[in-house]
This record gives sequence, structure tokens and C-alpha cells, in this order.
Amino acid sequence: MHDRLSFYYYRDSILHQLNPLTKLVLVFGLMLISFIFPFFWTPHILILVAIIPLIFVGKVKREYLNATIRIILPATMFLFVMQALFQPLGDRELFRIWFLHPTLESTLFAFRNAARVFAIASSFTIFLLTTHPRELMSDLTRRGLPPQIAYVIISTLQILPQMQAKAQTIIAAQRSRGLDTQSSFLKRVGSLVPLVGPLVFGSLVEVEERAIAIEARGFTSTRVKTSLHEIPDTNLDKALRWILIGLVVITIALRIWLS
Amino acid sequence: MDVISQNIVYFIIAIAILVILFAWAYATGRMQKDFSTMTWVLIPVAIAINGVIGYIVGQLKLPVFLDSIGTVLVGALCGPWAGALTGALSNFVIGMLTNPTDWWPWIPVAFFIGLVAGLCANAGFFKSWWKVVVTGFLIALTAATVSTPIAVYFFGGITSSGSSFITAYLLQTGQGILQAVFSTNFLVEPVDKISTAMLAFAIVQGLSRRFVARFPRPENVETEGGASQTQLFVAIGVVVLLILFAIFILSRITGG
Repeated sequence: MHDRLSFYYYRDSILHQLNPLTKLVLVFGLMLISFIFPFFWTPHILILVAIIPLIFVGKVKREYLNATIRIILPATMFLFVMQALFQPLGDRELFRIWFLHPTLESTLFAFRNAARVFAIASSFTIFLLTTHPRELMSDLTRRGLPPQIAYVIISTLQILPQMQAKAQTIIAAQRSRGLDTQSSFLKRVGSLVPLVGPLVFGSLVEVEERAIAIEARGFTSTRVKTSLHEIPDTNLDKALRWILIGLVVITIALRIWLS
Repeated sequence: MDVISQNIVYFIIAIAILVILFAWAYATGRMQKDFSTMTWVLIPVAIAINGVIGYIVGQLKLPVFLDSIGTVLVGALCGPWAGALTGALSNFVIGMLTNPTDWWPWIPVAFFIGLVAGLCANAGFFKSWWKVVVTGFLIALTAATVSTPIAVYFFGGITSSGSSFITAYLLQTGQGILQAVFSTNFLVEPVDKISTAMLAFAIVQGLSRRFVARFPRPENVETEGGASQTQLFVAIGVVVLLILFAIFILSRITGG
């Protein structure tokens, strides 16, 4: 977990103004296409024609690059190296060092898989960089998501940073009393209890009060609730969603037709 | 990949069973029983517990994840469907905040961890230390089974976690991809999930009876005959034996 517990950055861009559902459809559309489309270079082309333009449209180059270097690239590189070396595919060896002998087939397989994971992770990241969780939740609630689910997600987004701060305080406090958090394995296991105990019980105590508080504010009421701020859903959004759904259908049809 | 077309029948059967279970639970009102206001308020706290304990364990550099303690807790106190929802939302939210690639693909696994924890608790397997070990083992078995297809189809067998080195080794010894991934999961999961279940049980033990009674299924966690020290030691002994067994199997696989 990082110091800043959210991906979102506000920018004035078309991508930021799109309806959250449209962006969600976009993410899942890209994911399905990169998995289903029966062509080796699909994920690579998707990165070129979809991911990179989206970064520029959304004006999140720096943030995306940052996330790529920190999270996506290490994971995909690891995936690529491990799969190229260890997938038992084909027999055309590229080279052999000791017991490592990547074949042409396993390297190609690893290349496609890594590109696929890279494309999907990138589209997740762009989605999170350009969509505020609160907006996503209020839009989905308006479309029929149970408000309780939205409550869970929004309130987790508030509780998690609080609890993380509390955890850091507890770790610091126990260390200053001389708790050993760095030496041998058994000592570290032993130090789990004095760290986790206060944190968990402290936060569970608040549950009952909060239940009474939200009950008093009509949490379980089944009436339709009005929302304070409206989230625009333009014709462009609707058109984009239908185009994406069409593309996915075409992809599935191609896959069935060609197999 | 032809692995997909070979196994699609099993996949469809599994989905069908799940849908029937879902419909049955909904129709008989078992699902609605799980969700009171207390449940809805507990779930965010449980998700935060998942995330923060995972973070502390990472700080202590222990070789486990322990990132589903809250999920098991909700499963036991509120029921299987609440547990399943907690698991799924937990992976969703923590992924949203930290790193979607490491969390979102495993949403189904977290879903089943909560579901199985709740089902075990309903069956009375959350009442003493040794029963909790059984629950943890069943959770581990489910988690291993569910994460195998995800690892194989989404990542091509080798994921970005450290245990992939075992998978790679098993692949080198000539095992099929499904077997290799499943054996790896089966070696890694039990230790993690049994400690998770035992920690969740320890937390429940620390809660006051009055507090537990406010949740939908307090009868699931009533201890029988008190949670004595001897039982705890027996449970820890069982866990140590399991670890030794895992190491034994591992050496057999690597030796053969």
C-alpha cells in the first residue's frame, strides 16, 4: 500500500467526462477482445491503437508511466521471463544455459501472454486514473446497483486509510516499547499478536455505533433515494457503448467461425 | 488453447451448481438472513482488516498472505453469502486502491473463500480449535481449486507471485500445466488458510458475547466446552504436522 491510497487524478479531458459505465464497458471490452480475438498480435495491436491513444486523450501520461514502471512492467517482465524459460512447448531451442532452454514456441507464447496481461493491466490503470470511485458508485447505484454495495465500497475507501494510519501508529508504538519486528522468524510471528490485536478490536468496537447511526438515517429504507449530483450520460456515451459491444460480438463470431 | 475446450464442460457444470445454490438460498430466505444492518457495517471493517493485516504481514516479511481474515470472520459471524460478498468486494476495493493486476483476477477465489468459511461455520465447524483447522483446510482446498484455472487461463500458468518458481520446477519435471499449478497451490495454500482461520477464530474469541449476539448467526461461533489451551496446542501441532507433510510431498516430487 502506498502513501496515497487512490489512483484518481483530476484532469479536464474527454475521458474524464465520459460516463463511468462507458469506461467500465471499455475496460471489459478490451479485456475480452485481447483474450478472444484469434490473432497472435491482437494484444500488441491493442496496446498501440487503444491503450496509448487513451493515455493521451485522458492526459495522464506521467501518472500512467509512473504506475507502469512501478507495478505493471515488473510483473509482466517476470511473467515473460518465467514463461519463456519454463513453458514446456515446442522443441526448437533458441539457446541452452545449464538447464534453461527456452524454445521458440515458449518465447512466442510468453510474449503474447505478457502483452495480454500488460494490455489488461494498463486498461485497468487508465480506468482508475480517470474515474473517481464515488462517481462510479453513484452512477452504478442510479442504474440499479443495490445502495448497500455502494455504501460498502465508499465506506471502505474511507476506513482503509484511517486503519492504515492506525496500524502505522501501533507498529511505531510497539517498537518504541521494544517489540522486535525485524529479527528471527519466530520473533516476527510472535510480534503479530500485539500488532493485530489492538487494531482489530479497536475497529470492531465502532461497528455497533455505526450500525445504529446509519439505521437512524434510513439505511434500510426501500424508497428510491435522490442523488445530490447528477452524472452526465450523453449520446456519445451510448454510441460508444454500443460500438464496443458490437466489437466484442464480432470478435466472438470470428473466433467461432475460424475455429 | 485446447485446454479450454477440454475442460469447458466442468466449468459449465460448476457454474450451474453455483447458480442453483444461489437460487435455492435466495428462495428459502437463507441469503436474506445473512444481511442485517450490522452485516453491512461489518463488511467495510472486515475489508479494511484484510488489507491492513496483509500490509502488516508484509512489513514483518512472513511467508504467508493472511489477507482474508476479515472475509472468514464475516463468513462465520454473518453467513456464507455475506462472506462471499466480502471476499469479492475486498479484492475489488483493495485492487482499486493499490494494484488491480494483483487483485482483480482473484476475485472469484476470494468469493469462494468467504462462501466456504460461511458454509463450514453453518455446519458447526467454527466452534473449537481443531474444527477451525478443518475449516481452514477446506478453505485452502477450495482456494487451490478455484485459483488453478485462473492462473492457467489468465496468466498462462505462471503468475507474478513467488510460488511460481515451484510451478516452473514442476513443469520442468514433465508435469502437465494443470497438475503443476494445482500442486503448487495445494502446497502453498493450507498453511496460509489454516492460520487465517485460526486468527479469525482468535478474534471471535476476543469479542464479547453481547456484541456477537447482534450479528445474524451468533450460534455459529458459540464455543463448545470452552476454547482451552490444550486444544490450542493440539491445533498448532496439527498445523506443524501439515507443514511437515507438505515439505515431505515437495521433496518426493522434486526427488522423483
